[in-house]
Amino acid sequence: MIWVSSRWKILLMVAPALIVFTAFVIYPVLYSLGFSFTKFQGFGAPEWIGLDNYVALAADPFFWQSLQNTIVILVVSLVVLIPASFALALLLRRRVTGGGAMRALVFGPAIIAPILVGLIWVFILDPKIGLLNRVLGFFGFAPVQWIGGDTLTPYSVALVFIWSSIGFAMTIFYAGLQLLPADVMEASALDGATGWQQLRHITVPMMRETFAIVTILMITNVFKIFELVYMLTGGGPVHRSETLVSYMYFVTFTNQQYGYGMALAVIITILGAVVSVGYLALARGRKQPA
Amino acid sequence: MFPSPHRRPLGRLALGVLAATATIAALAGCGSAGNADDGTTEITLSMQNPDVESADPATWAIVEAFEEANPDISVTVSGEAVSEHLQKLSIAAQSDTLPDVFWVYKSTAEEMQQAGKLLDLAPVLDELELTDSFPESTVANFSAGDVIYGVPYQGLLTGLWVNEKILADNGLDVPVTFDDLVNVAETLSAKGITTISNGANQSSFSVWSFLVDLDRFGYEEKVDGILDGSEQYVNDDFLRLYEHIAELRDAGAFSSNVSTQTYQQAVDQFTSGNAAMLDAGVWASSAIQDSQIAADTGFWIGPQFDDGVGEQHIVMNVASAPFAVSATVAADEQKLEAVKKFLSFYYSDEAQQIIVDNGQPPVTTYEPVVDAQAQSALKAALDASTAEGVTSPQSQPDLLVPTPVANAMYDSIYGVIQNQLTPEQALELVQKALDAEQ
Repeated sequence: MIWVSSRWKILLMVAPALIVFTAFVIYPVLYSLGFSFTKFQGFGAPEWIGLDNYVALAADPFFWQSLQNTIVILVVSLVVLIPASFALALLLRRRVTGGGAMRALVFGPAIIAPILVGLIWVFILDPKIGLLNRVLGFFGFAPVQWIGGDTLTPYSVALVFIWSSIGFAMTIFYAGLQLLPADVMEASALDGATGWQQLRHITVPMMRETFAIVTILMITNVFKIFELVYMLTGGGPVHRSETLVSYMYFVTFTNQQYGYGMALAVIITILGAVVSVGYLALARGRKQPA
Repeated sequence: MFPSPHRRPLGRLALGVLAATATIAALAGCGSAGNADDGTTEITLSMQNPDVESADPATWAIVEAFEEANPDISVTVSGEAVSEHLQKLSIAAQSDTLPDVFWVYKSTAEEMQQAGKLLDLAPVLDELELTDSFPESTVANFSAGDVIYGVPYQGLLTGLWVNEKILADNGLDVPVTFDDLVNVAETLSAKGITTISNGANQSSFSVWSFLVDLDRFGYEEKVDGILDGSEQYVNDDFLRLYEHIAELRDAGAFSSNVSTQTYQQAVDQFTSGNAAMLDAGVWASSAIQDSQIAADTGFWIGPQFDDGVGEQHIVMNVASAPFAVSATVAADEQKLEAVKKFLSFYYSDEAQQIIVDNGQPPVTTYEPVVDAQAQSALKAALDASTAEGVTSPQSQPDLLVPTPVANAMYDSIYGVIQNQLTPEQALELVQKALDAEQ
């Protein structure tokens, strides 16, 4: 019998993590949930107002704008990021000269702090001083309001998010590809399967779990985007480019409406959980044999 | 059998717990403040700048001079950006661990005072004979009944810094009326020059000159009614002002990247000679003085409106957000005495001159000595504020309303500047914030 076989010892081993998780995750979530039903300025006694914060959220145009922006960023990121990072992993899996350096370069943006990523891209996307418009101007094109307007900003944020995340996603795909059994590939090659057929009928189906992991990670990361928006536009003009988290920050800490901010935080948590669990359920449903 | 591993993990666990306990105990020891073993009394001063030494040299210099004059008292200065600072204050207020002295928005100070978190400074100011050192409006601004919950941190003298050379080079004079300003904007815009440098990114509050304009449309007379609901922010007078802001925008007065530019970048745009005016206050005088445009820079109190309401010849020259003192200070006699000495020093003529030497106007009635050459920008602002016939409102408009309403006011002004809101929508935005507070 090994040491961890008895139940109380297992509980003893799990207890520290459980206590920390409860103290730093479960308790704050429940605490926030409680505050979401109050009017609270950050000090003094919170005033119980029931569902008023949630009713106010439903009528808050900036909330809907930030939700819309988050959805735009989510859709663009998933549609572009997942295929692009998988394609990159496929390319970099091949034995080519400088492959290691290429992988390091692609991964590079993932290790830059998001606040710096935002700062870097301000100098590229700014409509007046940004590099991109200068290049466009050189070729005779009119400047474009990449950020700071009310149309392109969420797409620009998605672009920057993709740039900063693609290396991380690629690395997970790359690790998944390395784990694929070589004998299956060899057998399919002997049976005359083309590269495309191998990719479609062997690689992608066998990477299903990896796709699920990357997708869930990217969904949760999109729901956490804050620094990019903060640096690129500060949420402006007039909250037109807020994401859910940046708007929650504004409401909670700039407006000091803690109860309202916590209601927003609860909505973000529910949305993130619903989208992630929904995707997992969908992926599992597809996986079930007929 | 695996004899030894059975006990090793528990032993390591016990060691780990001991080490963690020792570390926590040590950190707790580090965190204690107040009366140190060497006999000095420590007071904490928490500010709204992440780097007080460089961003707020006046306060830093006063603290240094105070410590030199009072070697038995040490002042620990800390600072964060405004949002983080207010966030920390809220958390500290909940646990009664507020810093001894701290900068805070007036509306937040009022809420803290109502929650019993602040020291009533009325008896302190009386004891120190400081009450009469402040302009009457300053004391009234930071009072609730007989309680004084705040003392002025620095003066809030705002307006438009003007690069007079840019105007002269383009055949223009410093404007007087709003029509003059529109004419300047149209002329400069046609030549690709920004008239008013502003930056909304992470600094939506940087609309000082337009807040003065609100007072030129009767804000001061209306604000009590607006707050108690008997009057509306949506009114014909304010609508005319917001329509004028739209006129300025349409005349090309603002930079095309006003949305993505920060306030600091707006200052840089002006000090590098790339904008004719800067919407700011006297705190920018040091940066201007250190730039190449210092000799060409003047200070304009802002436009007079033909269709304005009431006095037009006004400048915003009031106390800014206050210093407050934690109520817990009263529980420690030694600390209370140290805080009293600090306040006494801060409002002494010596400290007020330090403020002036660092490019800020005094907050007391002290008449400062200003070097006309080395402090030409500051002198221009002080001269403009004391010119004959110029008066000041009692308070800046945003300091009279709750924080969410103040933020809505900033958004409403920048919303029109950035062509995101019509004047009507801008007014509705503020009214909605007011309604939510009532």
